[in-house]
Amino acid sequence: MIQMESRMHRNTYPTFPKWRKVAYGGMQPGFDDNHTDESFLEDMIMNANVVKRDLVKVMLDSVSISQYLCIVALVVLVWTYTLRDIFTERSLVLLNIVLLGAGFFVVLLTAEILSFGLLLNYFLKISFFITGLYVLSPVYQTLTRSISSDSIWALTASLIILHLFLHDYSGSTVKASRALENSIFTSNISLNASIVASLLIASRLPSRLHVFAIVLFSLQVFLFAPFVSYCIKNSSFRLHLCFSLGLMGVTLFFVYRLHLLLFIFLLSILVFVNLVCPYWLIRIQEYKFEINGPWDEAKLCFDVME
Amino acid sequence: MSQQGKHRILMVSDFFYPNFGGVENHIYYLSQCLMKLGHKVVVMTHAYKNRSGVRYMTGGLKVYYVPWKPFLMQNTLPTFYGTLPIVRTILIRERISIVHGHQAFSTLCHEALMHARTMGYKVVFTDHSLYGFADVGSIHMNKVLQFTLADVSQAICVSHTSKENTVLRSGLPPERVFVIPNAVDTAMFKPAPERLSSHEIVIVVISRLVYRKGADLLVEVIPEVCRLHPNVRFIIGGDGPKRVRLEEMREKHSLQDRVDMLGAVPHAKVQSILITGHIFLNSSLTEAFCIAILEAASCGLLTVSTRVGGVPEVLPDDMIVLAEPDPSDMVLAITKAIHLLPQIDPQAMHDRMKKLYSWHDVAKRTEIVYDRALNCPNQNLVERLPRYLSCGAWAGKLFCVVMIIDFLFWRLLQLWQPDRDVEVVPHINLTSPQSGEEMWDSCAADERCR
Repeated sequence: MIQMESRMHRNTYPTFPKWRKVAYGGMQPGFDDNHTDESFLEDMIMNANVVKRDLVKVMLDSVSISQYLCIVALVVLVWTYTLRDIFTERSLVLLNIVLLGAGFFVVLLTAEILSFGLLLNYFLKISFFITGLYVLSPVYQTLTRSISSDSIWALTASLIILHLFLHDYSGSTVKASRALENSIFTSNISLNASIVASLLIASRLPSRLHVFAIVLFSLQVFLFAPFVSYCIKNSSFRLHLCFSLGLMGVTLFFVYRLHLLLFIFLLSILVFVNLVCPYWLIRIQEYKFEINGPWDEAKLCFDVME
Repeated sequence: MSQQGKHRILMVSDFFYPNFGGVENHIYYLSQCLMKLGHKVVVMTHAYKNRSGVRYMTGGLKVYYVPWKPFLMQNTLPTFYGTLPIVRTILIRERISIVHGHQAFSTLCHEALMHARTMGYKVVFTDHSLYGFADVGSIHMNKVLQFTLADVSQAICVSHTSKENTVLRSGLPPERVFVIPNAVDTAMFKPAPERLSSHEIVIVVISRLVYRKGADLLVEVIPEVCRLHPNVRFIIGGDGPKRVRLEEMREKHSLQDRVDMLGAVPHAKVQSILITGHIFLNSSLTEAFCIAILEAASCGLLTVSTRVGGVPEVLPDDMIVLAEPDPSDMVLAITKAIHLLPQIDPQAMHDRMKKLYSWHDVAKRTEIVYDRALNCPNQNLVERLPRYLSCGAWAGKLFCVVMIIDFLFWRLLQLWQPDRDVEVVPHINLTSPQSGEEMWDSCAADERCR
């Protein structure tokens, strides 16, 4: 067929037939195997999936990160105050109850479907959780007591840093239905790191009630704060912004009262996360170079269930 | 080998028989045809289990199974310099004139090409696969490829899409990259002696059942095709992690009597399965060339395939029906193929394939590449280093250091065991004069079944 075609072409034109992008039929007459046609790389698509980003939008999005940073900073503040005996166990328990109530209140206000059964379910689970924690608190108090305090501080600090690094700031862990993400693994590690950190701190406390209150407080915050802040963000972005800014102000105030150097440190982190990083991201966008073409592995247009 | 213009070629790859796949096939047939053209060919690969040392294959093809154990997916552990002594010995012993490496993810190939360049040999590299640019694995592989290709004399790709990909990945000038496709042994893949009945249409799938081969597409496509066409039956050959999903699908839609799962198929039996079908279905998600399509077409089957990678270049438009990798489009394509079937004459298709693809043609075209490679100017280390330096800000310097150390090691080896102390193999002509085409083709089949 090809020979026929080429003969036909040769009759009409004295030149060789046109080069075709095919692999069959041997070497194409008139063209070497290393012939590079004009159509070379014409199917290449550059930067097809690149999203143009807006500086203000990125800055507003980064508020959720600094919000969580502040929440963790507040937890550490509560630990410090408790260790310095500024907070009594009674006030801690009170704080827990207030937090739990506030959390429930927010979830109730923002939830789409409200039912008595669901509420009862929540209550039951939380009471089981609290009872279990109360029973186990003597164990937690002595669990890591034999470790020297220096190691405890160092470990706690590194675990908190690990927690912050691996935390899933997108809030996708909350959406249990779409939990088929790769981030599920790192966010689990993150959560575990925070729990271990609070258990380590618990061993430096004087009484069982202290241990119970502090562990309950930490778990409440680490487990439910992302959920609550996600609910707030979902219901109204303005509220989320106000809440975050308020939280930042409160945290900065308390940290300032605790230590000047820490205050400067936290402030610079917040500035870095909210102002420098978005600007940086926008700047390095122009270096983005993405190549797609027929060599890419095809993506399936349906979900593969294992 | 005293004649002018005859090369002494060393083929290097981690992938060779008894392992089986496209690359292995390619090296074997190319070597056989090059030997028929009067060149001397030696293959170097790593040891497979206890198959270590020197073996001879059909036609006196000498294979060095280097005692170097594979550690992952038949790849040897990258040691950079560990293979230098043995590569050097083989090159000198066999009086090699050109080194030809195969497959981008074969570490043995990369190392051997590096040492060959250090020792001043001309090297040719064949890339058999496609890579993206997005994930970490690809970025790493592309850097390694850039290193090897920075100083390669000529490169070969198996399809035009693969050439575009390789040029982009390695930054090689496109004139130095040749496109020489794979071929098919048409004598082995003959159509059924009599035409199959057209009451029942059999669709054959032979591939590893993995994600990249589109096994998930099959799970969506097969029930739909069976629903639309009550006279269609499927035969699925191959094994893999996705086999469970296919079996689940068969249970769920109660298609036990219409979908045959054969499990792993030895390559020697592929032809006998292919000739029981009318249509060959390929659902790959990425493919540089796809020899399976050639084998099916050579057996006279009409092919339905996904339009990915180099597949659209492989067959003329009237021998293949292409579809987007999307279940509904593939069902449409299969329907179209079923309507086209009465016009397909397997014997005519087989005869056409004989004209379109031949390993002898591949060998002749490769010979031209070797000639070009040998005509490249000789360069010493200092002249070659700038090429590596241009590979990247950090990588370039690293590559240079790697090459300089390799050069020093080579010099050290030369002091320790001078070239003249390495015994050269005597030339023995093992090809018996009566060995015909048919003979080595059938021997090839034997060798592969082992």
